[in-house]
Amino acid sequence: MAPKPPSGHHCESCALHAHLVQMGIQVDDWDYVVGLAGNPNVGKSTVFNALTGLKQHTGNWPGKTVVRAEGGFEFNGKRYKIIDLPGTYSLLSASVDEEIARDFILFGKPDCTVVVVDATVLERNLNLVLQVLEITDRVVVCLNLMDEARRKGIDVDHRALARDLGVPVVPTAARLGEGLGLLMRTVAEIIEGQTQTTPHRITGNPDLNRAVAELVPLLEAAYPGLPNARWVAMRLLDGDYRIRQALESGELLRLAGAGQSPERKAEEPALSLEVT
Amino acid sequence: MVIWIVILVLVLVLLWPDRGLYVRWQRRRRLLSRQAIEDALMHLHQRQHERRLASVESVASMLRIGTNDALGLVQRMEAQGLLTATGDGLRLSPDGYHWALQVVRAHRLFERYLADETEVPMEEIHARAHRLEHTLSVADLDRMDAALGHPAFDPQGDPIPTSTGEIPAMTGCSLVDWETARPAQIVHIEDEPPEVYAQIVAAGLGLGMVVTVVEATSTRLVVEADAVEHVLAPVVAANIWVHEAPQAAPGRPVERLTTLTVGEQGRVTALDPMCQGLTRRRFLDLGITPGVLIEPVMQSAFGEPTAYRVRGALIALRREQSDWIWIEAKGKEQ
Amino acid sequence: MNEGQLDNQTMTAPGPATAREILARAEALQRTMDVAFRDKIVESIYTDAEAITSRVVRQQGSRYAHLDQRIDRIVTSKVWGLPLMFVLLAGVFWVTIVGANYPSALLASFLFWVEDHGAALFAGAGLPWWVTGFLWHGVYRGLAWVVSVMLPPMAIFFPIFTILEDLGYLPRVAFNIDHLFKKAGAHGKQALTMSMGLGCNAAGVIACRIIDSPRERLIAILTNNFMPCNGRWPTLIMLATLFVAAAFPPSLAAIAAAGSLVLIVVIGGLMTLLVSALLSRTVLKGEASSFTLELPPYRRPNVLRVLYTSIIDRTLFVLWRAVVMAAPSGGAIWLLSNLQVSGQSLTDWTSGWLNPAGHAVGLDGVILLAYIIAIPANEIVVPTILMAYTSAGRMVEIDNLAQLQHLLVGQHGWTLMTAISLMLFSLLHNPCSTTIWTVYQETKSTRWAVVSGLLPLAIAFLLLFILNQGIRVFGLI
Repeated sequence: MAPKPPSGHHCESCALHAHLVQMGIQVDDWDYVVGLAGNPNVGKSTVFNALTGLKQHTGNWPGKTVVRAEGGFEFNGKRYKIIDLPGTYSLLSASVDEEIARDFILFGKPDCTVVVVDATVLERNLNLVLQVLEITDRVVVCLNLMDEARRKGIDVDHRALARDLGVPVVPTAARLGEGLGLLMRTVAEIIEGQTQTTPHRITGNPDLNRAVAELVPLLEAAYPGLPNARWVAMRLLDGDYRIRQALESGELLRLAGAGQSPERKAEEPALSLEVT
Repeated sequence: MVIWIVILVLVLVLLWPDRGLYVRWQRRRRLLSRQAIEDALMHLHQRQHERRLASVESVASMLRIGTNDALGLVQRMEAQGLLTATGDGLRLSPDGYHWALQVVRAHRLFERYLADETEVPMEEIHARAHRLEHTLSVADLDRMDAALGHPAFDPQGDPIPTSTGEIPAMTGCSLVDWETARPAQIVHIEDEPPEVYAQIVAAGLGLGMVVTVVEATSTRLVVEADAVEHVLAPVVAANIWVHEAPQAAPGRPVERLTTLTVGEQGRVTALDPMCQGLTRRRFLDLGITPGVLIEPVMQSAFGEPTAYRVRGALIALRREQSDWIWIEAKGKEQ
Repeated sequence: MNEGQLDNQTMTAPGPATAREILARAEALQRTMDVAFRDKIVESIYTDAEAITSRVVRQQGSRYAHLDQRIDRIVTSKVWGLPLMFVLLAGVFWVTIVGANYPSALLASFLFWVEDHGAALFAGAGLPWWVTGFLWHGVYRGLAWVVSVMLPPMAIFFPIFTILEDLGYLPRVAFNIDHLFKKAGAHGKQALTMSMGLGCNAAGVIACRIIDSPRERLIAILTNNFMPCNGRWPTLIMLATLFVAAAFPPSLAAIAAAGSLVLIVVIGGLMTLLVSALLSRTVLKGEASSFTLELPPYRRPNVLRVLYTSIIDRTLFVLWRAVVMAAPSGGAIWLLSNLQVSGQSLTDWTSGWLNPAGHAVGLDGVILLAYIIAIPANEIVVPTILMAYTSAGRMVEIDNLAQLQHLLVGQHGWTLMTAISLMLFSLLHNPCSTTIWTVYQETKSTRWAVVSGLLPLAIAFLLLFILNQGIRVFGLI
């Protein structure tokens, strides 16, 4: 999408223009890392392009983004590196794409994860959002394609959604450049701790909760400070190979340690994945 | 000069770590001996199950090796403490029994894996699993077990031993002993002898299917499954184990999604238990879960796939996939 | 969260549980469940999602936008769906051919004008003849050819295609013809990867990632080559213009040429299905398979962005790659033609040696040599052939079609059958080295990379051999 909003368009984009310096792919040096997750074909690449000024091709068919893209932008004097994760419906199925996205959100420990959702198919998109919320509380939901929702007469109450999810929700229409300034400000507030989140927890059913409740104390005792013991328990119960491995190899200990320290800024994101 | 290059290449081919011929040969030899031991263990286990004792001769004929080789094998296994030889035959030691159970576990886990995650035809699964069962370490087996969700039964309904060697209890009774006109669900199909098993597969009967015995005589059983009647010989029916069928939702009958036509609507009641692996995971990801409304929107010119609206998205499925989805028809959309 | 009651066993263990103990506990818990844990977790996630959605979303009007539904009815209709697809395809080709003709000629005459003057400048500066020859008549001419032949069609083809892509039409194509792919044991999404292949096979192979079941993905990767990529379009377009269009009156020429290109793509599609069926029934039997295809809502493409992305990202990207490959190849051709052994150039030697194989399949040694030189980039096949034919030992200019026809038909005995054979060979033969490398990257398997290279080559030779020998035996031509 057009990276340079024409003057006098949206007030929001004027403010955006003042603060935003698009850095394209020159992101050798950054203050924060932001992951961009979402279902396939929800305009994730458009959001990415609008933020970074890159022009990654965005076709209208699911799965267009097949390689992980990185870009950056500067906002209010801080440099953000942004990673466009492959589009996935879920983080459970362990396909290559889902593993890349899951590993990044869990082990890469981004400073913030933006989940882009399609406002016209909210219910399906919430599947991914609710999973991400179990992994991390540093989440901003980008309620994209608001223009399309309007056209179809779908009205989404983003305030109610934010209340239900317990994390900020920013309505956007990335194609028109709407809402992106607010999105960046919200991400900055999450990272700098100005916004507190209380992420929604999966309600579950008796069987599931009984099993999870038995495992969580064990995990918390063995890995004090593990930020997402509940999710790890669920993944173990589902037989997730990667999480098993992380448990066996002690990788989980490192995660637990990182979760404990409130000062995370100095730490390099422990990112060790290659897109093949 | 050329000679040296040739020699160098040959040496490399022979001695290359991991992939060289020598390493391969060694690995194969080790595998062969492991396979021989495990096959012998399985044979002893089977015999004990049948309350008979194995002998050196029976080991030889089972493994298709000479009696001398079999004797050598038995002696090696005895030295390793896997079996004890007494005057009347060979018995598994506790260690041997534990190992044998791990082989059973490997075999059944592989069967489960092949059935869920690949398209290998059901009648080939047993033979493939037999080749694969000797290849994994116990740790790898544990991982596979976990990745498959710790299944309790293999595709034929045989119990899979746990990592600690416990065997889940089997429920149900033989179809021959089931009363007529009472719906039953298939929980186990005996895969030996293969001829009988092939007949059951050919009839299209599989685990999880709901069947009703229509007529039972001493010479034949008429069984109805999915509105199709099958005639089975009692010896075939005896190899099918069943238990009480789950009650359908009161009132409305349950049918497959395929039966819905464009303009109608249905509510998903269940994903077929036979649908496992990739396809099931994909269904779940897309929100095709029990209770959700689903509505065919359009059909391709060739009759399939059909596009369904589910949770606001438009998803195209092929016929055999919509066959996996059980629904309760809701009639026309208002 | 529910109150959990700790198991006795774990309570008595002193200190925190080890990883092994936790895993064992998880296993035991899992076994107590009646359905797989995955089902439970996804069900409860969706229960929450449904509850939230019902609170925050209000729907005015139909759940399915009327406009979308109306478009879908036409685009996927039993009557109009398939014809519409072919008409669109032919239309894209027609616009490309007609639109590219004039700019191509203009570009060519300009670039060759530069060559003449550059060469004259070098000669005037007293540089030895072989420096001028190698740099201007070898390297530069290779570049000039590739740019003038490839740039205009790509600059037209890619934007049009990108618009179709952005609209959301391509998944509907997949939906329409999935049944054929199913019969071949393949996935409907393969239609998407094939259309990417029309641009560049390497890109098509990468696009196969959208197919999530392993078997269908591998099939799509191995057969992507049967969609003629950009590098092969110049050859096909030249033959279509020179031999097919020439057989029709001028008013129909462009349509006939476009029609023959559609036919080539259809043959490519049939080969794809045939080879897919073969693979899925033999070597790939038993690999896992699954099918789901999401049909996204239609969206209005942003024309400015389409132009930008398709010209910068695709056209220039593909052109740059071609240029990088063409420059050394141009030099190599010049060298082969100018190095003499026993009074004959190396080109003559090798093409003479390849002649029997070439004649058996309706081609000749020079064409086969050109295909060997063009392994890095298919774009340079035609220039190489022309250069080898002309005694000048360098690529000839193409600013005059009549001249070209005279060279091929008059001097080197090309017939309609040669043209047909060459079009088929161009369609079916092995992919370029970049594509083969990409196959390796995507499958991480040397075996599949080798198969992806050799299988099409074998098929090309076999098919052409049968075709040509059959015609010879029955004396049809």
